[in-house]
This record gives sequence, structure tokens and C-alpha cells, in this order.
Amino acid sequence: MMRRPDEQARRPDEEVRRPGEEVRETIPPVDGRNIDPEVGALMGEGALQRVRDVNAPPHGEASWIGPPPSDVPDTPVPTYYGVPALKEPVWKGYIPGYFYVGGVSGACAALGAAAELMDGRAMASLSRRCHLVAAGGSIGSAALLIADLGRPARFLNMLRVFRPSSPMNVGTWILSAFGACAGLAALPSIVPVPRTVRRMADVASVGAGIFGLPLTAYTGVLLAGSAVPLWQGARRVMPILFACSAAASAASLLDLFPARGRASVAVHRFGAAAKVAEVALTVALERQVAAVPRVAAPLRTGVTGGLWRAAQGLLAASLVTSLIPGWHKRLRIFGALLGTAGAVALRFALLDGGRRSARDPVATFEQQRAGRGAREVPELESPRRHPESERSGAAASGEGGFELTDRGQHA
Amino acid sequence: MGQMGFFTDTTLCIGCKACEVACKQWNQLPDDGFRLTGMSFDNTGQLGASTWRHVAFIERPEALPGQGSPLDGAQLADGAFSWLMMSDVCKHCERAGCLEACPTGAILRTEFGSIYVQPDVCNGCGYCVTACPFGVIDRRTDDGRAWKCTLCYDRLKEDLVPACAKACPTASIQFGEIGELKERARQRVDHLHERGVGQAYLYGADAANQPGTEGLHAFFLLCDVPEKYNLPPDPVVPTKKLGESWRAMAWGVAGLAALAVGSVLSARSGP
Repeated sequence: MMRRPDEQARRPDEEVRRPGEEVRETIPPVDGRNIDPEVGALMGEGALQRVRDVNAPPHGEASWIGPPPSDVPDTPVPTYYGVPALKEPVWKGYIPGYFYVGGVSGACAALGAAAELMDGRAMASLSRRCHLVAAGGSIGSAALLIADLGRPARFLNMLRVFRPSSPMNVGTWILSAFGACAGLAALPSIVPVPRTVRRMADVASVGAGIFGLPLTAYTGVLLAGSAVPLWQGARRVMPILFACSAAASAASLLDLFPARGRASVAVHRFGAAAKVAEVALTVALERQVAAVPRVAAPLRTGVTGGLWRAAQGLLAASLVTSLIPGWHKRLRIFGALLGTAGAVALRFALLDGGRRSARDPVATFEQQRAGRGAREVPELESPRRHPESERSGAAASGEGGFELTDRGQHA
Repeated sequence: MGQMGFFTDTTLCIGCKACEVACKQWNQLPDDGFRLTGMSFDNTGQLGASTWRHVAFIERPEALPGQGSPLDGAQLADGAFSWLMMSDVCKHCERAGCLEACPTGAILRTEFGSIYVQPDVCNGCGYCVTACPFGVIDRRTDDGRAWKCTLCYDRLKEDLVPACAKACPTASIQFGEIGELKERARQRVDHLHERGVGQAYLYGADAANQPGTEGLHAFFLLCDVPEKYNLPPDPVVPTKKLGESWRAMAWGVAGLAALAVGSVLSARSGP
């Protein structure tokens, strides 16, 4: 915006004052807009965009300006200067942290409810511990999710709609219901309560178990509901892996304070079976993703690859400790530590792997060229060639449009 | 209100970036810093939270009929060179990944058929950022919310053409009613084919053309494979594949329930 000529003539430090006007003390904000609010009104669609640092990279830490990232070597697949075709996920470490905490509390609530329903008297201490973990975990989960938001004060906006197409919305409803049930279920373990409340807590404990089940697995659906090649490639395995891993992590957490007795046997069997499935599913996930080798690259190379292998190793080692017969307290604790570390590493590897995958345009393009884009959707019969070029006969001459299966164009 | 959109004819783009400037000015978006990228004349890089139009520049080592001055016999660099320029924008998909992923209902479809993010509702969860198959919408770190092209909703309300289309000096960006634009675009492709530009084709014009998104409200006429313009060859709205994940989750949940009950029961009856 232009200043009036008489103002332009003044020295910049001189106050501009007209009769009846307040002394102007504020200087125009440095927000990359160069609009003097005294002269021009900020009314545009993007005017509310808050700018704290004009020189911040335009795409946050994920900025891509400069030489192509090392993830994109010379390949026959054309890219636009190696610029990512997707925006990489903006989530911070809170989210994989939540995947762990939410999973553990959900699986604990399920085990606690089962213990209370099937063997209430003998396993009272187990179900009590499970209730406390579930209640604490639900609070921790909410805190982690809120901390990751760009506008944390608006967390409750998640609950202003119910939208089945959004796994994040569905998950927030599940977590809310779970939190309410888990909190009530844990109440008698924390403070003395009258009998009616105790009975309500028993019902709530079953509710927490029921809502805890999807809480462990929906996070896998959440990641799958993205355009990130790695997560899309893993979409059939991730929800099951997350459920099994949650069970294994819950058993590991309970095993950190091992006790003898029937409850301990139940926890041990729960954990051992879950660990077998967990390790097997990491292998299955990698195999499924590797149908397009480039998509599996983040799990096989670099820091994320190391983290993924470390997670697999830790989980396998934890499984081995579970299979050693007999009661060894220290071994139990050691195995529990291994399992916990593995579960956390697994979640961070999957999240960072997704970030790297989104950053690699070749992964995006190759996956779709390999028929794993829209053509993979069962109810769609994607045209092999663009109808426009077919209509004009250009397709016959091999000039018009592009062929999804034609890899020759890349060479 | 009709369904409005853009038809971007890349064969007419001269890379003047007037659309980028008009967009920034009208929407009062902050600048993205002044950096040189080394990517031809493209110093914008990509679409983002405060960049709602982006002009791509591709220097191709092969000829494209129509570039140069064929009447004088003059050609760009002995005929072994051609420019591809494309003004990229939010595609306002018929099935929009961002809209279907948004957990707060901040993203909605307007009466013009465009996809709009309500800044007063968005809580910055970042899910739309991962859900967009075109890498359009982005969260601004210091603002905390997700932003993208609004198809100049404020201008449309006043019967004005979006700022970028208004500023485009070559009619590369054409704004109008979707059905009319598609017809115009098909005629343009036919015309280009007649003139020897056999490479010309439409990207994302309708559901048959791009089943993963069921068609774009901002579609393009391209002259090379989509990847060269940084467009995905077969994009799909993630929700189209989500049924498989929900089913997998059902198996996971059933397994976990069985495991919990089974381990308690076996401990009760076992040794």
C-alpha cells in the first residue's frame, strides 16, 4: 500500500499527528505483507494468517528449497527437480508417543475388563492395576494430542461433528468415550466411594474394555487414511499390527512390576501371544510395502531403517525372554523393558518413515505407476488411457496422453 | 450457484507469475521469503500455506510443436528445446481428501463447488496435510492452522472472477462454470491436435479421466507426463481405500478381545 505523499516526505522517526488524532506509537507490523494498517485494511482471505517470523522457511521444517534431498538419486522416473509431490506430515513426536500411550491404555482396559468379568476375585489386583493404567493413559493421550495441535485451545472442535470418513474424528470420539469410562472405572481404586458408584464403576470398566479395543487399532487406520506412500502401502496390516503391539506393550508395562499368581500367568500369556503376532506382522508389513521397492526404502535405509530394524530386534528379543519357561523376576523385567523400547521405536520408525516417504516424489509416482494408486480401488475401473487423446486418435500414434502402464516413457 | 472452477491451459502459460502476485495481493498473504532455488525461473518452489498459486518451469531438451516461430523457421535452440510452464493451484477435487479427513468440519464445500477451510474453526491437527494426494494444503508453523486456495470465495460472492484468472494475461487460467470449461477444454485439445501438438491432453477433467478424485474443479491441459509438472499420475483420495483398513481393524479388535478373554480363562483353568 502507498503512503500519502506528505507522510513519505517526513523522516521515518518523526511522529505523524493531526489535530484530534491519537499519537501513533505502533509501527506497521513486519509480517511479510507490507501493508500499513493505518492506510490499508487487512480483510483478505489470508489476512488472518499469523506471522511470527517472516524469515521462517515457508513450509516449516519440511522446507524444500535448494539442492534436491539425498533421498532422490538420479532415477529414470521424472520428477519436478526432486521437489516432493506431497506435503510431509506435520506431526511431532507427540503423535507416536500417543500411539504408544493410547494403545497401552486401551489394551490394559480390555485385559482388565476380561479379568474382572471372568475371574474377578483372584485377579482383583490385576484389574485394579489395569484400571489405573487405562485412566492415566487416557489423560496422557488427550494431553499428547492437544500438545500436537497447531491451535491447542481449539481441541474440542474435534467433537463439533461426527464424521465417519475421518478416522481422526472417529478416534477422538472413541478416546472421549474411553476416557469417561476408564476414569469412572478407576475411581474406586483411587478414593473410597459409595456402593452405587462402585457398581457404576464395574459397568464402566466393561465400557472401557469395549472402547479400549478400537482405541488400540484405529491409529493404524488413521495413518492409512493418508496419501503418504508408505502408510498407504501398509494399510491392510497397520491396524492389526497396532492392536497386537498395544497388547504386547500393555503386557510389558504390567510386567515391569511382576507379581506371582494367576494374574501374572494371564498377563504373561497375553503378552507372549501378542508379541508373536507383533513380530510376525512387522515382517508382513514390510513385505506388503515392498511390493513397490521404493516405497519400502524408508524402512530399509537410513536412520528410520535402523530404527525399524532396532524395533524388530527389541521385540524379537522380548519375545524370546517370554518364551523361557519358569519364573525369573529379573528376566521378566528385562523382557518388559525390551518390549517397551521396541514398541516405542516401532511407532517412531513408522511415523518418521512416513515423513521420509512423503518427501520422496519417486515413491509417490512409482507407487501409482505400479497400479497402486486409484487403480487399486476395487470398484473403480480406471481407464488405461486418457479419453481425450483416444477420441482424437492421437493415442494410436503413441503421442497423446500418457499410459499408466507404459514405463518406457520414463527412460 | 453453478459449479465453478479453473481450466489451466499450460500451452498458453508464459510464466509471468502475475497469478502468484495477484493471489498474494488480493488475499493479503505474507511473502515466503526471497530465495533463489536454482530451479529454472521457479523461485516459489511449491504450493503452501501462504502460496496458493505456484508457477512451475520445466526446461525440456526436446521440441514441442508450436514453440518458436514456425513461420520464420525459427526454433528454440535448434528445435531441441521447449518450455513447459504451469500455474498450479488447489484442485478443489470432486472427492476431496482434505475435506473427508478433516475431523472438525473446518473444511467444507461451498455453493460454488470449491473446497474452503474455515480459519475460525481449524484447530491445526494437520490431518488434511497428509490426506491431500496433490500436496496442496499445508499448515503454517507460526500460525498453527491449515491454509490453501479458497477459489477467491470473497470475490465469487461479489460476482468477481478469482484474482489469478483476472490477472492472467494469456487466458492460460480460465475461470467459469465447470461444464462449460470442460467443453472448451476438449475443443482446445482437438484444436491443438489438429495443429500438430499431439501431446496435448487433459489432466483431471472428469471422473473417467481421474477416477481417484472423481474429477477436479481445477483441471489442466498438459503436454508431457504429469510427473514432470509434479502432478501424481494416478492420485486417489485416501478414503477410497479406507474400507480395507477398517476391515483390518475389525480383525485386530476381534483378535485382541479373544486374546484378552483367552489368556484370563486359560490362567484360571490352567496350572
